[in-house]
Amino acid sequence: MSVVSAFLVPGSPLPYARRDNPPWEPIAAAMETAGRALAASNPDLIVIYSTQWIAVLDQLWQTRPQLQGLHVDENWHEFGELPFDMKIDVEFAQLAIAKTAEAGIKAKGVDYDHFPVDTGAIVAANFLNPQGAVPLSVTSNNLYHDWEMTESLGRVAAEAAAELGRKMAVVGVGGLSGSIYRHVIDIKEDRVASDAEDAWNRKILALMEQGDIAALTQACPEYAAAARVDMGFKHFAFILGALGGRFEGATTHAYGPLYGAGGAVVECHLAAG
Amino acid sequence: MSNGQIVAGFLAPHPPHLVYGENPPQNEPRSQGGWEPLRWAYEHARKSLEELKPDVLLVHSPHWVTQQGHHFLGVKNLRGKSVDPIFPNLFRYAFELEVDLELAEACCDEAASLGLTTKMMRNPNFRVDYGTITTLHMMRPQWDIPVVGISANNSPYYLTTEEGLEEMDVLGKATRNAIRQTGRRAVLLASNTLCHYHFHEEPVPPEDMSQEHPQNYAGYLWDMRIIDLLRRGKISEVFKVLPQFIDEAFAEVKSGAFTWMFAAMDYPELPGELYGYGTVIGTGNAVMEWNLERAGLAKAA
Repeated sequence: MSVVSAFLVPGSPLPYARRDNPPWEPIAAAMETAGRALAASNPDLIVIYSTQWIAVLDQLWQTRPQLQGLHVDENWHEFGELPFDMKIDVEFAQLAIAKTAEAGIKAKGVDYDHFPVDTGAIVAANFLNPQGAVPLSVTSNNLYHDWEMTESLGRVAAEAAAELGRKMAVVGVGGLSGSIYRHVIDIKEDRVASDAEDAWNRKILALMEQGDIAALTQACPEYAAAARVDMGFKHFAFILGALGGRFEGATTHAYGPLYGAGGAVVECHLAAG
Repeated sequence: MSNGQIVAGFLAPHPPHLVYGENPPQNEPRSQGGWEPLRWAYEHARKSLEELKPDVLLVHSPHWVTQQGHHFLGVKNLRGKSVDPIFPNLFRYAFELEVDLELAEACCDEAASLGLTTKMMRNPNFRVDYGTITTLHMMRPQWDIPVVGISANNSPYYLTTEEGLEEMDVLGKATRNAIRQTGRRAVLLASNTLCHYHFHEEPVPPEDMSQEHPQNYAGYLWDMRIIDLLRRGKISEVFKVLPQFIDEAFAEVKSGAFTWMFAAMDYPELPGELYGYGTVIGTGNAVMEWNLERAGLAKAA
């Protein structure tokens, strides 16, 4: 199998921008732990699917060889800029585009100066690949793609990596429960806004830790609706697709609140063979 | 209290295709034109705006989405390059704008005093969204009038449509209070498309107008019903059916700009002037004006 490691991480900029805030520090530390685990898996390529890169026409893949700049989040602009410097594996992206089309999903590359790279992809890349040592591939979340189509995209990515002989780390970037505080809070007091959603998050994380794929697959649609999960939890569908629907268990490196929403850093343990 | 006033409001949709079709020097991609009826509609709007001689343009854009409150551009001069994440092939625009900081801060404070969560955006590296830029360019390509840029809080999507639009109503009233207090002659720009059903593939080239038509017939009929009411000044009727229109036509007015503008103008039962209607990748777009000065509801400059 081409996939050598797999991670589910939140795309919120808060732990990156304000790791000094006690409720967010565990997630920042866990992102660094995940980064070390990713590096230890020795990948040739990191494939990032981010819920915050919204597409509506096609499945988009970054094809610009290098993306650099300063990004300011449209909601959390007061916490400063997010610098980014990403090297893109263009050969992989071109093959992924072709294979996405073969899978029946219209796809195209994005190669534009000043293209607005999304917060989630930047946060994931900066935490997990801080030196930029491993080339990246970044792909979008098309709002009209459902769970099955998103699983197909993950599978396509893994097949493209295999065809090129690349060892691939897959990263699904997105949140868990989606209820947020709409007003200004004392960030030191941040907690998951809904007890019911907190319970759902913990149930799903437990199933992931157990590697109970059948129960997870069954629970995810209800979880997505009941806990207002970020983009229907499609970032997990992408991971699942890349892993061929199999993993043996997972480690939750951290779980916590992100202005009322839920976020977790999860490392999946790959099935042998 | 000072004597500021709103002199007009425009429904001023923001498909980036209109900038692309015009080929202004600020935009990198080149086209062979396209969407002429809508671009010519904006020519009428530009002429009327010129005659109004406003001090400031206020624009509420659905493509600056915020979760914690209603945000206002709060840096005096903003410049940069704004690339549309959905249509980067059409819109890569070098922008440079001046913010009316006093009015923006007054809007922010007034909205907060009426119970909304608000925030000033003070980061000089902020990338202004393509909705704000497209509407402002199509209305005033000279960029010589200061602006107030307002985000679209996601309340109509996070809460119910009705609850979200109630917030936009409060935001509009706060905007009106702030304009009065600061003594500005203000023009409001509601950056909204009507029916928002769209095609999922672009023609080649994108400006091939033989491929342009309404994506959804029911949505088109809804657009005509709403425009007919607006042209006859039946504003209260429009707002009665607005939630149904939003649901059945997937209308972008859900994001709040339309309600914000009419609330700020105090929902005048005034016939709007339709400058033009057209589709862009299947969505319905109308350029319309409510000229309060001409109607005797605002004083001449």
